[in-house]
Amino acid sequence: MTMTSPTRSNLEEHAQTLTSDTNDAIRINNVSVAYGSDGRSSRPVLSGVNLTIRKGEFTALVGRSGCGKTTLLNAVAGLVDPTEGSVTVMGEPPRLARRHLGFMLARDALLPWRNALRNVEYGLELRGVSKAERRQTALHWLGAVQLLHAQHLWPWQLSQGMRQRVALARTWALNPDVLLMDEPFAALDMNTRQSVQQKFLELWQSEEHRSVIFVTHDLGEAIALADRIVLIGDGRVLEDVTVGIERPRDLEFVSANRRYQEIYHQLRAQIG
Amino acid sequence: MSRDTLIVRVAQILLGITLLGLWELAAVTKWPDPVLAKSPGQTWSFLVKSASSGQLWSNTRATMTAVLIAWVLAGVAGVVAGVALGLMPRVERVLTPYLDSANAMPRIALAPLFIVALGINTSAKVALASTLVFFIVLSGARAGVRSTDAEWLRLSIVLGARKPQLFVKVLLPVATPAIFASLRLGLIYSLLGVVGSELISARSGLGQLIAYYSSTFRMEAVYGILLLLAVIAVVLNQVMGLLERRLLRWQPPADR
Repeated sequence: MTMTSPTRSNLEEHAQTLTSDTNDAIRINNVSVAYGSDGRSSRPVLSGVNLTIRKGEFTALVGRSGCGKTTLLNAVAGLVDPTEGSVTVMGEPPRLARRHLGFMLARDALLPWRNALRNVEYGLELRGVSKAERRQTALHWLGAVQLLHAQHLWPWQLSQGMRQRVALARTWALNPDVLLMDEPFAALDMNTRQSVQQKFLELWQSEEHRSVIFVTHDLGEAIALADRIVLIGDGRVLEDVTVGIERPRDLEFVSANRRYQEIYHQLRAQIG
Repeated sequence: MSRDTLIVRVAQILLGITLLGLWELAAVTKWPDPVLAKSPGQTWSFLVKSASSGQLWSNTRATMTAVLIAWVLAGVAGVVAGVALGLMPRVERVLTPYLDSANAMPRIALAPLFIVALGINTSAKVALASTLVFFIVLSGARAGVRSTDAEWLRLSIVLGARKPQLFVKVLLPVATPAIFASLRLGLIYSLLGVVGSELISARSGLGQLIAYYSSTFRMEAVYGILLLLAVIAVVLNQVMGLLERRLLRWQPPADR
């Protein structure tokens, strides 16, 4: 994507960026990704995906494993370059938009040689925030996930749930406009999972502006958390469903909601 | 001290006394040979005499100076080379057969070469010991860098890490335990290389003393110096162990 040789598609793209609604956080335009191994082109992982995610919108990407949902997330994160099409994050190409991004993974990815506090500081440190400021921010967010008492503990001394809460604090400390989440709660046991999900939802609901792309294979989790569910299959968008359950939500009761049941039955067969 | 530790300590002391007793018994019965049969008492009095004459001190210093120089030089070179190879798999593939064959060579066979090239001096000892230390530290550092979790890199890149930051904040800390373990082993091998070189030819050093005393059948002196070398090796290992525990506090106890 270079502007030095303005081809037709580049110009179109540029025009699109200029005219795009400023309420859009992420625009995925006709994106295809094929992983070529040793120069041989293989079956595309994504083909012609179009998706626009508005500011403050919580979108869940669901689908069977291998359907391409993580690849789509990686394309938004700038970890994978689309073979065709383009992605913009807050109006910029992903690699230039990383200051807007927060990232959470299934495994907490805490660095084992940093204590809880310094793990929360990690992203701020990478972005060159001063020591005093990042300490203050980190302490604030550790407090928000009720882990101030654990600030000096090493990751191995924390339970799975605590570790993932440290990861939440690390993510929020960056004050991201866009949260990219790749099955962030998949590794937790059921009880821990619900309490971490609830914590996450509280943090997110307390401020309206953060967009979320949340990859999961768990349809129930997707409906409970998201505003919108995008079902991916064979590298395409198969369904795009608005959830429409009012917020704030209480995860303990959300599955009793009529709309939850409807969406669950509508999509379950396609996920299998 | 817990009860278990106490039992272990007592058993260790008893075993030591038993070994000393067996040694004394062998000396008294002239087993296996009158030349070899020297008692712990004779060995001790040699050590005392040699220490008070200054002979033991000056030779220990000569040996340890070479050990530390070789360890530091080859250690630094090994870390740099190991990290570089860990990050550049293609270069590593090119170099692997050469590195493997160099590392498989019985290094002591290089001693005469170094002595001819560098003279009967500290440089020759350092050179031999370095060839041992370098490869040990190289493979430790390389393995350390390789043990990086892809998720740490993925997260760091998305959070905005640039290449130098990835190196300093992820790759180096990841590699530290393996580098440390190899430096610890490397220190003992440095001692091995230096003493080996001294045995073949040197003007000073504990290895040279062993060569001299065994050629004159002063076996109590040989035993004394061997004991001293064992003590030095144990102390070096303990010091490294302490440093390691201090630096790697973040590891779960089972991994230490």
